[in-house]
This record gives sequence, C-alpha cells and structure tokens, in this order.
Amino acid sequence: MSVLKEFTKGLWKELPPFRLVLGLCPTLAVTNSASNGLGMGAAVIFVLVLSNMIISMVRHIIPAKVRIACFIVIAASLVVAVELLMQAYAYPLYERLGIFVPLIVVNCIILGRAEAFAAKNGVAASVADGLGMGLGFTMSLTFLGSIREVLGNGTWFGMAVMPESFEPLRIMVQAPGAFICLGLILAGMNMLNFRQARRRGEQAEALAQQQGCGSCGGCTACGAGARDAQAQ
Amino acid sequence: MPDARNAVLLAMSAPPYWHCGRTVQRQSLWIAAALAPAVLCALWNWGLPALRVMALSVAVCVAVEALCQKAMGREIAVDDGTAAVSGLLLAFMLPAAAPWWLVCLGAVVAICLGKMAFGGLGANPVNTSLVGWAVLFVSFPLLMDANAMQLDTEFVDPLLRLKFFGAAAAEEIPFTDLLLGHQINGLGAGQAGALLLGGSFLAARGFVRWHIALGFFLGVAGLATAFALADPAANASPFFHLATGSVLLGGFFLITDPANAPSRPLPMFLYGLIGGALVMLIRKYGVYADGTPFAILLANLLAPQLDLLRPKPFGGR
Repeated sequence: MSVLKEFTKGLWKELPPFRLVLGLCPTLAVTNSASNGLGMGAAVIFVLVLSNMIISMVRHIIPAKVRIACFIVIAASLVVAVELLMQAYAYPLYERLGIFVPLIVVNCIILGRAEAFAAKNGVAASVADGLGMGLGFTMSLTFLGSIREVLGNGTWFGMAVMPESFEPLRIMVQAPGAFICLGLILAGMNMLNFRQARRRGEQAEALAQQQGCGSCGGCTACGAGARDAQAQ
Repeated sequence: MPDARNAVLLAMSAPPYWHCGRTVQRQSLWIAAALAPAVLCALWNWGLPALRVMALSVAVCVAVEALCQKAMGREIAVDDGTAAVSGLLLAFMLPAAAPWWLVCLGAVVAICLGKMAFGGLGANPVNTSLVGWAVLFVSFPLLMDANAMQLDTEFVDPLLRLKFFGAAAAEEIPFTDLLLGHQINGLGAGQAGALLLGGSFLAARGFVRWHIALGFFLGVAGLATAFALADPAANASPFFHLATGSVLLGGFFLITDPANAPSRPLPMFLYGLIGGALVMLIRKYGVYADGTPFAILLANLLAPQLDLLRPKPFGGR
C-alpha cells in the first residue's frame, strides 16, 4: 500500500463519520455551525496525526496487554496540548466547543485508527492515514455544520446567505436537527453505494445491499426479483 | 435462484386467505368520517382560514406521498387515504392563521421524514402527523403558538390561562365553551365535543382500540384528580384537562395509530396510561402549556417495549 493510498482512503472510501460511522459524539454535538465543525476538525487532525505518529513509533515497545491504556495516555497528552493551544490562540472557539475538546480523548476515531492502523504500520503510512482520516473528518463536520447553519440560522461561517424573508428552521441548530441531518446524509451515502454497485454490474450485491435479499432464494415470488427478471 | 423462475409456484400470497373485508382504505374513510364533525366545528369557529389550512395540508400530504412512492419505484398507493388522514390530523394541530409555507413544510416533513423515510405505511416508529408537528413546533415556536397567531378573536387559551393565572381563572371558562370549541388551540384540536363524538364512535366500532383511548384518558384524568386533590387552588379539575389542548384529538386519533401502538389489550392499556400520565406531567412541571403531542411521541417510542409483555406459554416457566 502506498502512502498516497493511505492518505486518500480517509477522504471518501472510509470517510470517518459517514462511512465508518465513527466519532459521532462530536459530529452530532458541535456541528451547529460550520466554523465549529471546522475548528473541531482541526483539533482532531492535530491529535490524530500526532497520536498515529507516536503510536506507530513506539508500537514495538508497548506490551500488547496494556496497549489500549497506552494509546489513551498518548491521546490524552495530545488533547491537553491542543486544549491549551486553543485557550491561548482561539479562546472563543474553545468556549463554544466546551466539553467536547477534552472529549476528543475518547473519540472513537483516535483509538480506532491507533488500534486498527498505527499499531500495525510504519510511521509514514500512519501519518498519512491520520492526515487523511482527520481531513475527511473535518470535511464531514464542516459539511454537516454548513447544512445545519444555513438552514437553521440562515448564515454560513457567520455571513448571511439566505434572503431576508427566510424564516430559519430552528430545529436544525438544535440537537434533533443533528440526528435528522446525519440520518439523511447516511441514507444518501447508502444510496450512492447502491448506485455505484449497480453501475459496476453487481446486481445481486446491489439488491442485497438495498433489501437484504442475501439469505432469501424466493426471487420470482418477490417483487424485487420479478423486476430484476424483467430488466434482464 | 434462476432455476426457481421456471418452477411451479404453489402459494402466491401470504396467509390469512379468508378476509373480513376491512381494508386500509375503508379504515381511513371511517376515520375521516369521524373527524367530519370536528372539521365542521372548526369551520364554524374559525371560518374559511381553517378550511384553507386543512385543504392545503391534505393536498400537500397526498401529493408528497405520491411523489415519494414514485421516487422509490413503488406502486402509488395514495388512494388508501392514510396520507390524507395524516394531513388532516396535522392541520388540526396548527393554528387557523398559520402561513401557507408553514403548512406545506409541516406536511412535507410529516410524510417524508415521518413516514416514507422509514419505508411507508406501518413502518414508521412514531406518529406521522406528530413528526411534522414537532419539527414545526420546535423550529417556529411563535408561528405555532395559536395564542399569538390568532389575535382577532374573543376566545381565550385555557391552558395558558391555567399556567399563568392559576386554576381559579381557568375554571371561569364555562365547560360548554370548551366542548363547543370556543377556545384558542390548534384549529381542530380544540373542538372537544365534536372530537369526543367522532372518537367514541370510532372506539365503539373498533376502528381504534378502546383500550388505548381509555388508558390515555384515565392517565390524564387520574393524575389530574390526584393533583387537584393535593392542591385544589393550583390545579384545575380533570374535566378541564380532558377538554383542553390536544387531549381528545390525541387520545382518540393520534396515540391509537395501529402502526405505533402495541397489539395486545394489557400493553395497549398501559401504553395509553403512560401517554396520559406524561401529558399531565408535562402540563404540570414542563415548560409547554400543552404537552400532549410530545407525550404521545414518547409513548410511541415505548410501544416496542410494551409489546414484550406477553402471556406465558402453556407449561412454560
């Protein structure tokens, strides 16, 4: 696997919140504006790249039995660093993100990438993986935050983008809006997967993805099978 | 699988084969008929603006459901009438002066997110109309507040009066006014007498389960009586609570939706009871004047758990 491939897989193929469905706590909680999403993503990139790097450096020293604790300690030290940096240079953002900055320690993506990738691969590949995943996470959070901010507040990064007569859909910047938005985006991703699989000609796989036909053989009696037979 | 295509098929449909003749379409028609007195009452009390909201909501709901079914590659089944009933129930909870885009947005959200996103009729975990209502209510609290939207009327909002002026002020409103729908509320939710008439008919005919409705009203009345006995000066009578807000609409038409309700008598009764008790808890301790829709949404989410209450099999331990 080339370093470039490790980098690009986090951008689309294994996009953290929308494909791996990891790191949902910050995804749901802080994305009520695009700038919050971007800030959170930047903090995660910092922690993820450095933790992947350090863990892949020391992966031969850590005993397998206590590796999780070691990963957490490394991530926690980096999070403290990022927290202090934010307090010093981006205090308003730090206030808006609140408890979710320290909570980066227990973000599934950090531990997930450490356990699944950095603990098994070299430094260069791990850094590329961390950078790709972090960028993918940032993009996703900014995207989700943009949708919620535009619909729920009529602004984008604080600039008014909607016409004067627009009544902001307040639910989008509140907690339920995060769930609704995330659910619709995940549905959209599934639909894209389905379309791509169908375009590649994997009819059976596509149908199984859509309807869970995998374990059932009664295709002719079922509407989906009949439609399939007609198409052929 | 390709071999199965030429094989003889012995059974083409799932049992039961003996049909009692009761269809979804007829069920919707009867529910619409039971809502008719409340529609007439709403027209009498609120005039043509109420007709505008109801017609718009029903039309948008039906159109959106047809579009969704077309987009999903399904047979278009809007003629079963469930979308129209959902639209009418949604309109019943809106103020008669709601702007047109609010009604359209609510109808689109109700059908798309509340029903079709989960797979259509019967697959929705919570009531379709209430999803639309909840999104509107959380997003636009001012536009959804009937008391703020309806200024050219001499009616009063009984629940706001209870919340801010105490039980004595609320009890001044004659009970007949509440029954005739002379109260500020959603345009149809306030037609207490008409809803009671239509709802009792539905429950008696078995179109809605009387266990649920009875449990719901007992929950509201029981907790209201307990509060009133504990402190008569601060709490209104149970009859007041039954006739205000969306309690009658909710108890007969919303919480009884078979897609979201448990399916056995005891769980159905408990489900209604929990919903009714939640209404009173939200009214007494919550920030909202009328908690009925939220209480019903919460009870809907509990239904799968209540369905686990099953009788012990014979000989089982």
